[in-house]
Amino acid sequence: MPAVVENDVLVYKGSNFFRQRLLLATLSGRAVKIDEIRSTHDDPGLREYEVNLIRLLDKVTNGTRVELSETGTSVYFQPGILIGGHVTHSCCPQRGIGYYLEVLLALGPFCKEPLNAVLQGVTHSDLDVSVDKIKAAALPILLKFILVDDGLELKVVRRGAPPLGGGEVVFKCPVRRHLRPLQWTKWGLVKRIRGVVYALRVSPTMANRVVDSAKGVMLKFLPDVYINTDQCRGSNAGKSPGYGVSLVAETNEKTFYCAEAKSSEPGSGETSLPEDIGRECAQRLLDEVYRGGAVDSSFQWLLALWMALGQKDVSECIVGPLSDYTITFLQHLKEFFGVMFKLEVQRSDADEELDDEEEVTAANKIKMTCVGIGYVNISKRTL
Amino acid sequence: MADESAFDKKKAHRAKRAGRKADKKKKKNQTDTSNLSARQRNPKAFAIQSAVRAERQFRRREDVIAKKQHVPQVDKTPLEPPPIIVAVVGPPRVGKTTLINNLIKSFIKTNVTSTNGPITIVTSKKRRITLIECNNDINSMIDIAKCADLVLLLCDASFGFEMEIFEFLNICQVHGMPKIMGVLTHLDMIKNAKTLKMTKKTLKHRFWTEVYQGAKLFYLSGIVHGEYLRNEIKNLSRFISVMKFRPLSWRMTHSYVLADRMEDATSQETIRKDPKVNRDVILYGYVRGVPLMKETMVHIAGVGDMKVSELSYLPDPCPLPSSEKKRHLMERERQIYAPFSGVGGIVYDKDAVYIELKGSHSHKQEDEETNEKKALLKNVVETTETIDEQMQESGFKLFSGGAVIYPDMLKNDEYLQQNKNNQPESSDNSDSEEEGSDSDHDSGIDQSEKEAAKSDKMPWDNDSGDEGDNNQSSGEEDNQPESENEESDNEQNFDNKWKEKLSEKATEAYFERQKTSRNIMKLVYGEFEIGNKTKEQKQDDDDESDDEEIGGLFKKVTATQKKKLKDKERLDLDECSFFYSLEKPNIRDWTAEANKQYLINSFVTGKRSADEDASELLKLDDASDGDDEELYGDFEDLETGEKHSAEDKDETEEAETVETGTKRKAEPTKSEILDKKMKLKAKFDAEYDNPDDHRIKGDHSYYENLKAEALKQSELNKSVFENLDEGLRIEVEGFRPGLYVRMLFKNIPSEFVTNFDSTYPILIGSLNMAEQNIGFVSCKVKKHRWYKKILKTNDPLIISLGWRRFQTLPIYSKIEDDLKCRYLKYTPEHVTCNMHFYGPVTPQNTGFLALQTVNNNPNEIKQLGFRIAATGSVNEINKSTQIVKKLKLVGTPLKIYKKTAFIKDMFTSTLEVAKFEGARIKTVSGIRGQIKKALNKPEGAFRATFEDKILMSDIIFCRTWFKVDVTKFYAPVVNLLLPAGSKNAWQGMKTKGQLKRERNIKSDANTDSMYTDIKREPKVFKPLVIPKELQKGLPYRFKPKQKSTTLSGNNPKDKLKNRIAVVKNPHEQKVSNVMKMIKTNFEKKKEIQKEATQERLKTHKKQLEAEEWKRLKRQKELKKKICRTLSKMGKKKPQM
Repeated sequence: MPAVVENDVLVYKGSNFFRQRLLLATLSGRAVKIDEIRSTHDDPGLREYEVNLIRLLDKVTNGTRVELSETGTSVYFQPGILIGGHVTHSCCPQRGIGYYLEVLLALGPFCKEPLNAVLQGVTHSDLDVSVDKIKAAALPILLKFILVDDGLELKVVRRGAPPLGGGEVVFKCPVRRHLRPLQWTKWGLVKRIRGVVYALRVSPTMANRVVDSAKGVMLKFLPDVYINTDQCRGSNAGKSPGYGVSLVAETNEKTFYCAEAKSSEPGSGETSLPEDIGRECAQRLLDEVYRGGAVDSSFQWLLALWMALGQKDVSECIVGPLSDYTITFLQHLKEFFGVMFKLEVQRSDADEELDDEEEVTAANKIKMTCVGIGYVNISKRTL
Repeated sequence: MADESAFDKKKAHRAKRAGRKADKKKKKNQTDTSNLSARQRNPKAFAIQSAVRAERQFRRREDVIAKKQHVPQVDKTPLEPPPIIVAVVGPPRVGKTTLINNLIKSFIKTNVTSTNGPITIVTSKKRRITLIECNNDINSMIDIAKCADLVLLLCDASFGFEMEIFEFLNICQVHGMPKIMGVLTHLDMIKNAKTLKMTKKTLKHRFWTEVYQGAKLFYLSGIVHGEYLRNEIKNLSRFISVMKFRPLSWRMTHSYVLADRMEDATSQETIRKDPKVNRDVILYGYVRGVPLMKETMVHIAGVGDMKVSELSYLPDPCPLPSSEKKRHLMERERQIYAPFSGVGGIVYDKDAVYIELKGSHSHKQEDEETNEKKALLKNVVETTETIDEQMQESGFKLFSGGAVIYPDMLKNDEYLQQNKNNQPESSDNSDSEEEGSDSDHDSGIDQSEKEAAKSDKMPWDNDSGDEGDNNQSSGEEDNQPESENEESDNEQNFDNKWKEKLSEKATEAYFERQKTSRNIMKLVYGEFEIGNKTKEQKQDDDDESDDEEIGGLFKKVTATQKKKLKDKERLDLDECSFFYSLEKPNIRDWTAEANKQYLINSFVTGKRSADEDASELLKLDDASDGDDEELYGDFEDLETGEKHSAEDKDETEEAETVETGTKRKAEPTKSEILDKKMKLKAKFDAEYDNPDDHRIKGDHSYYENLKAEALKQSELNKSVFENLDEGLRIEVEGFRPGLYVRMLFKNIPSEFVTNFDSTYPILIGSLNMAEQNIGFVSCKVKKHRWYKKILKTNDPLIISLGWRRFQTLPIYSKIEDDLKCRYLKYTPEHVTCNMHFYGPVTPQNTGFLALQTVNNNPNEIKQLGFRIAATGSVNEINKSTQIVKKLKLVGTPLKIYKKTAFIKDMFTSTLEVAKFEGARIKTVSGIRGQIKKALNKPEGAFRATFEDKILMSDIIFCRTWFKVDVTKFYAPVVNLLLPAGSKNAWQGMKTKGQLKRERNIKSDANTDSMYTDIKREPKVFKPLVIPKELQKGLPYRFKPKQKSTTLSGNNPKDKLKNRIAVVKNPHEQKVSNVMKMIKTNFEKKKEIQKEATQERLKTHKKQLEAEEWKRLKRQKELKKKICRTLSKMGKKKPQM
């Protein structure tokens, strides 16, 4: 749904893509109004986690103005200037830390002070990317744009499984005046697979069983597979029981694909076998590898964002098939920044040859080309 | 032994010195010295003599190189650059207009009657220039400095440099220095040759100190028949046409347009009703700087921030000549385009053709006096327009009560008539299922349908190869979930079915997505309009089509409904960035053998493509090395005795090709390999055979790499969109510099049109992200050393920053050592200080200049002298400020205990005290303390502790910092809206001083600071009291003789009072009487004796004197006698 512009305020409807809209509003400095938030639901208005997100944005900015309607079904958000600095935030356990961390990651390079955020809550959630995944797959993308890693760091202090959470991460991000244009059209071949299995408040054997099954699948493709187990105890294990795995495939061109799987929540009534979890995760990783592209499919939008915010130069990257989320994000980018990507489907010749023989076809690669809008970090101080 | 060996020595070989062999050898050894450098001929002369000197030389060379290096910037000049803006600047009456006229004449050989506004001319095969004259207004000077590429700075040599020139140079320095050429005119006014020479020299040197050493200064020696000398102008024009430009950082990040044409597009009717109604204005000009994005905010200097409501490009009115192979410009290619001056021939617009009638035709549409002829002409022009418009307007209904269909809906004039096929998504958003295309017109007219079918593709359809296939697949993809929807819509048990099918559906959709998504652009940007249509229009259309029921066309209704339903479904979902967001599809089993086969090559263990595989590459190398061997075909392995024949080899080759067939890329041909090898060899040669390589060289690889990277990027920037459809290219890239654009602005104040003056430049600068916002800007600033006054905090100041000129209230501050901004009341004299104001957000390091007035009142200018008050650059942007002012709170002791004291008068209430609990305080004498707690009575008093006992006379301070707020005042200078005569007299907020002077208000003197006589009481010191203990040890003479119990009992009068009266008995009285008499007698006697002695002494003295006199007399006579005798003796001698 394209936005309606009323006196330079973008007006949207519905609660979906709330995070995207607030994030882009903060970066672009344009006010945004979101109407009809769950207006037809039994429980109308903003959810707790969304309010929590607004709080977080308020913490990292200065001069933000938020107006909520009485019913909570409409929000007016006028962004201020990104400040960054030291932020401690306890995230809502309804969503994972990843929900908030992705926002901070996108905002991080454009703050006034280097960001040093402590986030508490659920580190591994079904709906959101886990902190492990962000650490493994998203940080290398940012590194491509800022080139020099001075203080880009994500540390998982404690893990916390849903529903109660109790995990903690520390995220540090340097600031930049502008991002450099990026050409990233090769992603290479997978050279190694690493992984972490965590087990919180469950028997340590669970972890080992997950490792076995995941490794069993991955070894059919590559011998270089190492999976660590992270058996947490005491306060480090968070407040709820749970276990899960995340696997990372690294290519020889520094592309990281990451997949994860976790046990179902304790209250949900389903039981999950560790072997299934391991296999599922491995299958997902293979799926990710099949899709290919320069970045993991969950972070296509981050790539698009940073490409669009670059200097007034051409950036081009090849990614796997676009996810729905990315497509919406590209639409939002057009509305907030007026930047449009040139998208082309890439197909190598060899794939077409193979088409006839095999039923499995290659995943379409999409070449994204755009001219950066010349975004500069206006909040950074010069002396 | 030695002898023996000498004896044993064989006869040495003696080379032939003559004959055939000797000649041969000589020839062989003879090198051709003619080609060699001196270094090669005589290498010893160039050998390093001294290591130290060599090191110094090397270092110096490296220093020189390093000084020349700049951070490589990506070159952003487009293939067809916009005309270069050449601004002619100078004080009035120096000959600016004459120079422009002469330049135009020299370039295109025509006379131009009036020079208003920018004049664009083609000067050479690859260069166009826009000449613009700057009038004598500081606003125009600022705007010109912001956009000019080359400035011709005119100066009257007979007068010398005027203040305007220095002002302009300073403006330039702040906003990015364009190229500046000085031009001296009126040289013929100086008659004396020697003074002329001297003037030239002094002016040249003064100019050099301002610009740079060796800056070009032209001399126009005089005017003949109202024109400058032809060869001098020719020279100047040559200089202009070869001038090179350096990118300026502000202009390399912002796009801008110098408008050279203005039109009022408001309908005459509304103007007639209300002449003050806000106008719709169209401005035209070349895009410069960086590409101009479509929906962008711009700032029109002198008007304010505006949103471009329509932006499109037009064919170039002054195009560069086509690239024919000719050396010179054809006569007809020497074009001129100057709408404001009334030259430029025929102009094509989007919807009209304008014919410029030279000189007689003015572009002001709102002339006060419109005579009949003009009205008639206007009518004619308007009617030609309206025929088109009528065509456009004429809609028709297909069914009664159905929608009215306009030709607009069918045929959208995109950017131009020529690219008709770039059509935006049609107004009636019909998603037809039978046909693959999304944008289909249900118009019902045969003709238009045909047209539609022809021009039915979106701009991006062009680049994807097979359209039919495309649309088919995308259509299928779209339809799959939709049809499912439809079914479920029909069925009543909507929920259950839907949920059952959820995962299945997701899986399907997922595979579909992976398979197809060829026309990905449409999938993503399908909902946006591509073209000139504005969003509002589209929205209206949408509403229309939603509301109306068009009889018979059911397809449309269902489609829109479906779309709505889909949107609704998505509206309140949970946000999730995973690829398969909420529903989890069943992923393919990748361990299955068939699937695995495909995936295996994505790992390093799998097969690689031909250009990556190591073994393949090795094979290739072998093959290319074997080129020579292949000449022989077959050979024999001697060791094994095996024979290899050519046929054998062919076989293996065949086998190889079969093998490689399965691989991803075919083997490169021999020629390719040869090419590659040659390249490698060339590279090697370049590295090693460089004749100049004997010198020691520094390592510049870092710099070289940076340069190469920038070059690569600029090539990519130029090439990547080259063969893209024009409409899409503009959408993706923006309107690149060099395009001639038409910008429609809505709701511009009517004064802009009614008070339009073409001599004022209209500069339209785009604002980047967040630059349209307003915040607190903090910058460093320095008062200009030529400005006479110092600047006062909160006095209004006009600032030129970025594209804008505005008035604001600045606060000056100084950064203390603890990084606190301390408020300053005035700017310091010769150092930079900080300045904070409320104004537009602008990127850091942008330069600005400040003026106190932009008024051109000559009296005011004369009084000021130099108008630029301060210059500086932006440091930081924020939404709040932290400026503090020192505040001392003063109190006095109420009661003092040992180290605790009660302090009063510092605060007025207990609450205030509570806020300051724990604060540090200090007495004047330096005793430090702390505020503890408030007292009940009196209000505002508190308990405090000190490091020592304080005195009642002490004054106690509390040093605090008071936050000063920056006033939120921001007023753009809207000089373009002012009436024609007073455009240079913009008056903003006045300073307090100005107001007081105007209204003759005298401020009352503060009585505290008045002079009063100081009365000083004499200081009374307290008496010295020596403690008893100390007294004991003192010697007697130091002991205080009179003992007094109280401190004040030492008064001598009191002592007398305390004396007891002495009463004598008669005997004692007698005795004392007798004693008194005796004493008196004795004293009398002594007196008489004293007198007698004096008498005696006198006589004695006389006696002595008489004796002396006698003695002297005797001596004198004696001397006389002696002398006489001596002289007698002397007389006798000569006789003897």
